[in-house]
Amino acid sequence: MEMTLLIGLDAASYILTLLLVCIGLVIIFGMMNVINLAHGEFFLLGAYTVVLLQQYALPFAVILVTAFVFVALIGLIIEELVIRRIYHRFLDTILATWGISLALKQLVIILFGPGSQPTVAPFAEPIAMFGITYSSYRLFIMGMAIVITATTFLILFRTRWGLTARGVIANRQMASCLGVNTRRVDRVTFAFGSGLAGLAGAIMAPLMSVDPQMGVGFLVPAFLSILVGGIASPLGAIWGASIIGGSNSVVAAIWTPVIAQIVVFSLAIVVIRLMPDGLAGRKKR
Amino acid sequence: MLSVRDLKAGYIHGAPVLKGLDLDLTRGDCIALMGRNGMGKTTFVKALMGVLPEIAGSIRFLDQEIVGLAPYQISNAGIAYVPQGREIFPDFTVEQNLTMGRIGKPKQQNESFDFIYEYFPILAERHKQLGGTMSGGQQQQLAIARALVGRPDLLLLDEPSEGIQPSIVQELAAILRRIVEQEEMTVIVVEQNLNLVRRLAHHVHFIENGLIKSGVAVDEINKDPAIISRYLSV
Repeated sequence: MEMTLLIGLDAASYILTLLLVCIGLVIIFGMMNVINLAHGEFFLLGAYTVVLLQQYALPFAVILVTAFVFVALIGLIIEELVIRRIYHRFLDTILATWGISLALKQLVIILFGPGSQPTVAPFAEPIAMFGITYSSYRLFIMGMAIVITATTFLILFRTRWGLTARGVIANRQMASCLGVNTRRVDRVTFAFGSGLAGLAGAIMAPLMSVDPQMGVGFLVPAFLSILVGGIASPLGAIWGASIIGGSNSVVAAIWTPVIAQIVVFSLAIVVIRLMPDGLAGRKKR
Repeated sequence: MLSVRDLKAGYIHGAPVLKGLDLDLTRGDCIALMGRNGMGKTTFVKALMGVLPEIAGSIRFLDQEIVGLAPYQISNAGIAYVPQGREIFPDFTVEQNLTMGRIGKPKQQNESFDFIYEYFPILAERHKQLGGTMSGGQQQQLAIARALVGRPDLLLLDEPSEGIQPSIVQELAAILRRIVEQEEMTVIVVEQNLNLVRRLAHHVHFIENGLIKSGVAVDEINKDPAIISRYLSV
């Protein structure tokens, strides 16, 4: 019984962590169709914000907000300098964002060195419940993932800014003809997605080894989640993260992480083959 | 209010579709542009809206030069556009589609949609319905309503009767007529459907090889419908 509960909690933890990493990608990759290979580095920059600011003993909440704002600004600059020239040029996007990814990673190595950096969780006491004990910081991450996802969806689907962004993505020229400054919407949308990646990195930092390679580990499952969930639907990320994250952690707990990887990729191939539009993809009439 | 001089515009550099077009409109004018396919009617309204890659010449609208402005600036200067094929947002509700129509216009931000719903009662009835699930005629009404919520001074309509059954075209023409009269709207309508043109426009201009060749009052067409075929046939 305890074992099942523990596996369930671990699975939920991994799913929600994945969702946390996905949510920025949902906007940049899922909605704006930019294959941003530097997304992992945005995550990385968020984590290093924690490394840097914890030296000044700032409150953790302040650090999280700073990480979001800082990485959003980085995203804004990169959008203005590079991304805006390569919308709708898929291959160039991959090449350019890969270059950005390398440059950011090297910049971090120059500034902080290649080794892993210490970060401190703001709280770490395990919590006892239902006969098991579980890390309180993991529970905090799960809560944050839910809150951030819910907030993002509220912004996208319940605010006028979200409506405008979705309108621009659905029909750029028509939105422009209706009086929407599409350049400004692009800038803000990309910066928002980048900021979310930075926030995810900052939240995850105390649990991970903060080193220049940490962004890569989540990038592949995050892209996979969005493909499985359905690229066109922001809600698909929830489905995708559940399938990818859930199967990975459950199989890893029962067998081994290697078998888990095999199962996850096979599952992804089957889903994408049978439902090319993803789980949340709409059936065209 | 609108003064077009020597407008050359097109899609590819060095191959203009419009070859030095001139046109003047005063407030309240309601003109139809007719012409055979490929003569530049749609290109002309697109040029006004600023969406063409190649454009030269002068377009003065309300004492402002608009050649070179971005489409959103032109829209917010007071020109509204109902494109061929309607281009409503299929995944947005009627209400959300209408909201998109005034998003860049601070003055209209808090206005109620009631004045639009008066002209288009079907949209009021279906304000929560997704745009993509409506019939062609209803989508056309939505596209026109979306253009009007921004309170434009000049309305551009590109083939509003396309893909709509004849009985609905008549209804649409009557609604448009009412709007033009009550809102004192200036209108340029590109249209093949003579029925709609005769109900809506005061004047018809014929466009040929990227130039406006001649104009004729609708009254004269009503007297002698053969005029049209004379202008439109080779």
